[in-house]
Amino acid sequence: MVSLARRNLLHDRMRSAITIAGVAFAVTLVLVQVGLFMGLLDKATTTIEHSSADIWVTSRETPNVDFAHTFPQTTVLRVRGVDGVERADNLIIAFMNIQLPSGAEEGCLVYALEDFASWNLPWAVDGGDVRDLKRGMYILMDRSAERRFGRFAAGDYREILGRRFKIIGTTSGAASFTTAPIAFMDYHRAQELSQLLLSRTSYILVKAVPGADVQAVAAAIRRIAPYNDVYTRDEWAARSRRYWVVSTGLGMNMGVTVFLGVLVGIVVVAQTLYTSAVEHVKEFGTVKAIGGSDWDIYRILAEQAAIAAVVGFALGAALSYALRPVMAKLYLNVLVSPGFALAVFAGTVAMCLGAAIFSFRRVAGIDPALVFRT
Amino acid sequence: MGGQRMSGRVLEVEGVVKVFEEGAQRVEVLRGISLDVEPGQVVALEGPSGSGKTTLLSIMGCILTPTAGTVTVAGEVADPERPTRLRDIRRRSIGFVFQQFNLFPALTALENVEYALNVKGVRGAAARAQSRAVLERVGLGDRKDFLPRDLSGGQKQRVAIARALAGSPRVLLADEPTANLDTAVGEQVLDLFRELAREESKGLVIVTHDPKVRRIADRVVGIRDGRLAA
Repeated sequence: MVSLARRNLLHDRMRSAITIAGVAFAVTLVLVQVGLFMGLLDKATTTIEHSSADIWVTSRETPNVDFAHTFPQTTVLRVRGVDGVERADNLIIAFMNIQLPSGAEEGCLVYALEDFASWNLPWAVDGGDVRDLKRGMYILMDRSAERRFGRFAAGDYREILGRRFKIIGTTSGAASFTTAPIAFMDYHRAQELSQLLLSRTSYILVKAVPGADVQAVAAAIRRIAPYNDVYTRDEWAARSRRYWVVSTGLGMNMGVTVFLGVLVGIVVVAQTLYTSAVEHVKEFGTVKAIGGSDWDIYRILAEQAAIAAVVGFALGAALSYALRPVMAKLYLNVLVSPGFALAVFAGTVAMCLGAAIFSFRRVAGIDPALVFRT
Repeated sequence: MGGQRMSGRVLEVEGVVKVFEEGAQRVEVLRGISLDVEPGQVVALEGPSGSGKTTLLSIMGCILTPTAGTVTVAGEVADPERPTRLRDIRRRSIGFVFQQFNLFPALTALENVEYALNVKGVRGAAARAQSRAVLERVGLGDRKDFLPRDLSGGQKQRVAIARALAGSPRVLLADEPTANLDTAVGEQVLDLFRELAREESKGLVIVTHDPKVRRIADRVVGIRDGRLAA
């Protein structure tokens, strides 16, 4: 079957290029912006999702994993006594100042546990052993810290809150939404650094007995720790993400960016399709004169819009993919899941078809008698 | 109103009146026109500008509906209340040839014809084969892959005629088909029209200012102020 839509697109090359470029721009904007946001959000929960804890016990109203408050560390003893709890340990997460060789002072986020290996924290260690952390004034520093702290290596020393720590290895992938680099140290070393941490903890990590109902175990912990909040891993990750999305306005900001991207796409596609429809109005009249219906004309416009959507999406997706290594060099992760890409594709098709509605209105009920006008 | 009517005529126009109303203004363009066209007959419809001949052609082509009167095409009465049926009549029984050719500029000669067949419901290899045959018929077999911009005026009009012939309609309606052609090419196109009407028993109505059309016409009908002149 002859496709008048396809042939018209090929015939009006410049206009088609503008249409497709508009779609590709909108797709790139949405994929990269939302991808960056998703990458940032991934950082907000990466330690929650990598740790093997099924349940997190927090102080009341802790908004996200980075902004921890403390509570008595003895709470863990009661948690260990709850049916269905296989293991429970205290975890300190605290912002601390680190002295750099340059003399500058920066902030870092300290994760402190007695037994890191049991909780899969950190999960990617290079040139060191987490079990050695408890043997002295040792830390593991995440590789991403180089951007803020400058280059470092195992064997180097850094001062945290005035105490000298030896870097015994590096980790990778451990990051926080706040961009403060993460350092791992022994639980008791962390408590020695600050009076505020004496006999106190930030979280209790809980592992449920295999096969236990995690929700039921969490409910049982809530009953014995009424002054704490208790979340399953998914609940805690969702709460941490929600804080950054809702409370900071970042979600709104992202929504506005996506809206503007879609708006640009709609305006460009609608404008070019509409101009095309106006210029081809006599052809559409001819289609009707030779027996075509309004739907035959709508189909032509819809096919043009769909082609612009598919080609524009492919170009936009390719451009976004090509930008990933560039972003990675800036320690920015563009995270685009297949589900999100599929949603953007569906949105692109919907956007282009929506934009075509303006053209539909222009050609709706077109008078085929215009074919006799010169 | 709708229904089949058996008759030897391919086109019958009976008492057609057309009134255009715009606000309080009322213009009676056609005032009771009756006209029959037999198979194989060429009718030339002549008249000055504004006499109503293009309006009559539009009504005969089921593009416009008459205010009063009836039009019967290939035995089928055109019911003005049923636009879908009018479209079906156009699709099945009428081929149009326009003064400006009205070819699709992005399609080749072959595709222009094939697209018309697609609209009429003929698809795939059958449409392609019929399109080739029709283009051969109008002497453009060797230009089938040319875009309209690469064809001369006469060749464009031949493609337009081939497109009108696609689907073998019983009636051909041509609006000033020689107006944009030079004399020699215009003569060739008229010869082709006559040949098609005779050999394929098509009823052909040509709206024209061109006196050369009289040469091929079996009947010349004048129209003045919305009425047929003798």
